[in-house]
Amino acid sequence: MITAERKPLEEIIECIRPYDRILLVGCNECVTVCAAGGRKEVGLLASALRMAFMKEGRTLEITELTLERQCDPEYVEELVTMIDAADAVLSMACGCGVQEVARRYKNKPVYPAVNTKFMGASVSQGVWAERCQGCGDCILGLTGGICPVARCSKRLLNGPCGGSTSGKCEISDDVECAWQLIWDRMKELGIQDRYEEVMVAKDWRTSRDGGPRKIVREDLA
Amino acid sequence: MENQKSFQTNKVLVIGGGVGGIRATLDMAESGRDVVLIDKAHSIGGLMTQLDRTFPTNNCDLCTLSPNLSASGREHRIELMTMTSLTKIEGEAGNFEVTLVTKPRYIDTDKCTACGQCHAKFPECVNFTPGLDHRAPTCMRYPQATPNAFSIDPDKCQDMEAVASVCKDGAVLLDDAVREQKIRVGAVIVAAGAEIFDPAHLDNFGQGAYPDVVTSLEYERILSASGPTNGVLVRPSDKKQPKRIAWIQCVGSRGIQKKAVSYCSNVCCMFAMKEAIVTRERFGDDIETIIFYMDIRAFGKDYEGYFQRAKDEYGVRFVRSRPHSVIPDESTGALVIKYCPEDGTANEEENFDMVVLSTGFRIGKDLRSLAEILDIDLNLHGYAATANLDSIATSRPGIFVCGMFESPKDIPETMVQGSAAASCAMQFAGPLSDADSVADTDLEDENGTWEFAVEDEFPPEINVEGKEAKIGVFICDCGFNIGGILDADALADYSKTLDNVAFSEMIGHGCSSESMQKIQSAIKSENLNRIVIGGCSPRTHETKFQDTIRKAGLNKYLVEMANIRDQNTWVHMDQPEKAMEKARELIRMSVSRVKYSHPLVEYTLPMNRDVLVVGGGVAGMTAALTLADQGFRIFVAERSGQLGGLAAGIKKTIEGEDVSTFITGLIDRVKNHSRIQVMAPCIIVDHEGMPGMFTTGVQTGPQMYYRQISHGITILATGALHNRPDEYLLGKHPAVTTQLEIDTKINDDPDSIKKWDTVAMIQCVGSRTADNPNCSRVCCQAAVKNALSLLDINPELRIFVLYRDIRTYGFQEDYYQEARNRGVVFIRYEDSAKPVVEEDGEGVNIKFCDPVLGRDVILSADCLCLSTGFIADDESTEDLAMIFKLPRTDDGYFLEDHIKLRPVDLPVPGFFVAGTAHAPKNIRESIAQAKAAAGRARTLLARDEINLGAAVARVDGKKCASCLICVRACPYNVPFINADGYSEIDPAKCHGCGICAGECPAKAIQLMQYEDDQIIARLDGLFERMN
Amino acid sequence: MDKFEPVIVAFCCHYCAYTAADMAGSKRIPYPPNVKIVRVPCSGKVDAIHIMKALEKGADGVYVAGCLEGDCHFKKGNLNAAHRVEYVKKLLDETGIGGDRVEMVMMSAGMGEVFAQTATTITEKIRKLGPNPAKFPSNRKAASNE
Repeated sequence: MITAERKPLEEIIECIRPYDRILLVGCNECVTVCAAGGRKEVGLLASALRMAFMKEGRTLEITELTLERQCDPEYVEELVTMIDAADAVLSMACGCGVQEVARRYKNKPVYPAVNTKFMGASVSQGVWAERCQGCGDCILGLTGGICPVARCSKRLLNGPCGGSTSGKCEISDDVECAWQLIWDRMKELGIQDRYEEVMVAKDWRTSRDGGPRKIVREDLA
Repeated sequence: MENQKSFQTNKVLVIGGGVGGIRATLDMAESGRDVVLIDKAHSIGGLMTQLDRTFPTNNCDLCTLSPNLSASGREHRIELMTMTSLTKIEGEAGNFEVTLVTKPRYIDTDKCTACGQCHAKFPECVNFTPGLDHRAPTCMRYPQATPNAFSIDPDKCQDMEAVASVCKDGAVLLDDAVREQKIRVGAVIVAAGAEIFDPAHLDNFGQGAYPDVVTSLEYERILSASGPTNGVLVRPSDKKQPKRIAWIQCVGSRGIQKKAVSYCSNVCCMFAMKEAIVTRERFGDDIETIIFYMDIRAFGKDYEGYFQRAKDEYGVRFVRSRPHSVIPDESTGALVIKYCPEDGTANEEENFDMVVLSTGFRIGKDLRSLAEILDIDLNLHGYAATANLDSIATSRPGIFVCGMFESPKDIPETMVQGSAAASCAMQFAGPLSDADSVADTDLEDENGTWEFAVEDEFPPEINVEGKEAKIGVFICDCGFNIGGILDADALADYSKTLDNVAFSEMIGHGCSSESMQKIQSAIKSENLNRIVIGGCSPRTHETKFQDTIRKAGLNKYLVEMANIRDQNTWVHMDQPEKAMEKARELIRMSVSRVKYSHPLVEYTLPMNRDVLVVGGGVAGMTAALTLADQGFRIFVAERSGQLGGLAAGIKKTIEGEDVSTFITGLIDRVKNHSRIQVMAPCIIVDHEGMPGMFTTGVQTGPQMYYRQISHGITILATGALHNRPDEYLLGKHPAVTTQLEIDTKINDDPDSIKKWDTVAMIQCVGSRTADNPNCSRVCCQAAVKNALSLLDINPELRIFVLYRDIRTYGFQEDYYQEARNRGVVFIRYEDSAKPVVEEDGEGVNIKFCDPVLGRDVILSADCLCLSTGFIADDESTEDLAMIFKLPRTDDGYFLEDHIKLRPVDLPVPGFFVAGTAHAPKNIRESIAQAKAAAGRARTLLARDEINLGAAVARVDGKKCASCLICVRACPYNVPFINADGYSEIDPAKCHGCGICAGECPAKAIQLMQYEDDQIIARLDGLFERMN
Repeated sequence: MDKFEPVIVAFCCHYCAYTAADMAGSKRIPYPPNVKIVRVPCSGKVDAIHIMKALEKGADGVYVAGCLEGDCHFKKGNLNAAHRVEYVKKLLDETGIGGDRVEMVMMSAGMGEVFAQTATTITEKIRKLGPNPAKFPSNRKAASNE
């Protein structure tokens, strides 16, 4: 899933300072699951902003709405009845959602209320970690199900480097060495010998290096 | 069988309102029996209400006990008679006539509101639940006292009329007198407790003479937040915080001098450790705690770990020694304890600021005369005599015993016996088979529904859906309690001005039947559809008002109570204006919230009355027979091909009871019982459903075919295993054996024993170790039993028992004494220096360090008998725990719902546990728990349907993002993501805490009765007119 | 306004804190009338939004009162509550309202004195902090009517 974190309140306040009426839009997908922009966070942010404005002697009118998915035009269409009553939109969705709202409602300023972080998995309740960089050419089949692109600090395809100590990465004791994990997993699977195979240089054109990407499914499109 | 039996009465008498008596009373009432509960004290609760915290969880009792107590007061099948004693009993089981004498209270408990006016004006005349707490006879023993009423002591009262004139409620009865009444009961349960040993006459310890020498119960009161010092730990003499506290164990127990009793009082070790731990928890290194002990008897479930934590984590110091005396140092005021340490080398001397005497239990004059009236036998220690394998039945049929009066014991065991006694008593009392009840009987039901809850007839519910709220507000003045501080009439007038309030009235005592009728007629005449009561606490009175409005046709969840007494007038007495203002606010909050309340349905399910018993050992068979005899159909699933379980390998108990014959008899009865179906061998494969409607898949029969069993209740009696650790040459040398094997040998091959010269025994083999941390409970008495039997066969035999602590708790201590008297040598070893065993021809050599000599000794023995105890049947409990979704302890036993108060109930409703599947225990204790499981099961089986309550969490599937946060947050693992892809919460399993609702990031979960809009509405009500 | 009287909302769990409040009543232990109790089954039921809404609507202070650690009737709801209160404190610091206006407290059902004492201490603390800066007369109505 895509993970995100609420921006510092001060930054949000600065964005919306010129306005009196805000439409605060959450998303019921990834950002709900990572507790950054679902119905609950929308409620909390609305409450916090109202109070922050009241403290300055201003009244901020906030309309709260959480869409099923902010990156789909059909759902974003649901805002049509209330968009006129708002001076600006504050979106708690990931960058995709913010842009979809901006594309649809061209004459309304749209501001992000969260920082979109990464594609990750939940490690435990309340903890998420990066797992995928969307390189467009998956090699997990070669690396025992652990991605060196996303999880090695250097994105090494033939690791580990000399900075791997006791299974930890040299950048921080909190970061596990991806290549150690790969080795452990291969051993578990009994395919250690594959570790020796040298991986050829990756063609990064399938990744961001090839410019903005697009998927077209012709049977559906 | 039982269901055709015609009872002569539905009533049972319970003597004693401590936890055991309350448990028995509640169980019987829930099973449809009428119960008369008598207690000679002013209120029920017994000893437990005085405890600050209880081991091994160190929880506060009040929070867990008080719901039990108020349940006792509420249940309409229960007649509670305090200050009452039994004076005579005639007749026989099934038809006793008992004479009860009630002392005058001079207070009408129905009218008394516990306002405290009389006590304030005449403190010397008025008792408010005094009792054992001699330090604070006039303070509240605990605030949830049942009955919640005062009493007057006429001897100390000069002018009763003056007291009466103070009472605004007219609750003082001037002409109250001794009342005598005769009632007919089918059975009697004696739950009379025991007395605490009074050490005052022991001049060597100086309790009573030196203020800082206190008993363990007194120390408990000093620690207690509701005690005489409000929980501030100071020593009595100078009110200073002590720095060093000593506990002396076995004061008055395990002794032969100075009026001591020979038996062990069972709980004092744990009690002392708990007090020391709580002290260390609160004060850390500021207070040193030292326990002087003989043996630490931490034999209960998970108690050994508690002992280890006391030592290792809390730094409680343990000294194995029995100090002779406590002598104050005149110059410093310190209490000096001289003692001889274990190695016996020299006398030590230490100074303390406080000394706590761990005093045990005994039977006093009152209980002896009660036994005389009841005409039941007592054992040589004065406790109620019971059979060796039946700890519940007394010598007189129809009279049962539970709790301390049977033998000293802790709270969980008392609870077990309470439920077991209820189960036994119900065989002698039940609903009469008159015409009325036959008409109600479900004739289709072959199990026979010979009991029915006496439900009030309720009119159909008025539909309030979609109708505008028409709120009725009723303000109680509660006599002086509210009316004396604020103007209740004015508050009622103010309420009229609030939105949606259609009617408002001051109704005096809202809980009086007159006021209840007023409320009901107002609902009808004014078409009210929401009700607010401004009065006391919903904790105590919500059910009453819910009942009231339900009778007037409103759903019971449409009433709301504003607590303007306990949380307003009682605490703001000195600021009447502020109290009035706050009362307005509280009423506004309630009015605003009640608008959003909506009718709720209490979830009910039809009850399947069949029972699945898993495990065919003593516990399983006893539970099955108890319930089958009462008319229920039982499936017994036994994993092995044979019934009998662990006990089948035992020949005799320590008391000499023939176990083999008993087990054979039990197996015969189970196999031939028309209502019991035995499935053996049988394994449990899958399970689903909810209490009252379970389906369990099993594989059984010679071909292990799959079949499904439908049942309403499950009793787990899967037992434990005999431990056989790979230690001390066990299984490698013929001279090394176990207590169980030697028990067989004693019976089958006494001749070979006659040839022996020396037998050694090692205790705690495979128990109290890192792998199996708990005490196996039965091995000490097994060693003593076998040592005595060996001596019977071969009086010349030398027997050495190497032990860590001898744990012959309760009356078993007598056998330990006997073994020592007959020459059995008991030698201690440390866990850190275990004995070493080497082969020596046909015998073995045992090398160990003698603690007194301080040097190694080698003992040659013909036989080495290891006390190997129990180990949890990890493999089967793990599987069953997974299939039934039940929690286990770290060492693999099933974990009960509440370790103190619900030792038989498992956390999943409809599941009960008995025997060694719960924890190590002996046969007698397993049988008691099996009967208790049957008794607890009966409370559910008595119902036609199961009421699951209404405060459950509901998920809005449209909003749910299936994020799993609720799944992970629920403390009971109830939510799951269903096939439709959203979270589902089974109302039958939801406990109603609302944690999921608080965590849900999509706001998709609402807890009924506490929905978000209702909470916000409350805040709106508070703030709407504040500026 | 001559003297500032704070309004304080206390979310109290049914099994411990609410019972302790009743107990303070039974024992007649006075505490400031500024504290208004909202009963919840478990402190773990108190949503962060409830705390924010209470402040937004005009409370000067809010506290959540649950059972002692380890004593929660629902095992660990009080810990969930404590974490949420921490979260709200940070959010309020960011907002400029001040996280010290909210508190988590724990007590057992028997602790009537502790309830009263807590109510007194918190009331005094809030009194010192002064009125909630997010409430001023002209905005009050708008806030409570939405």
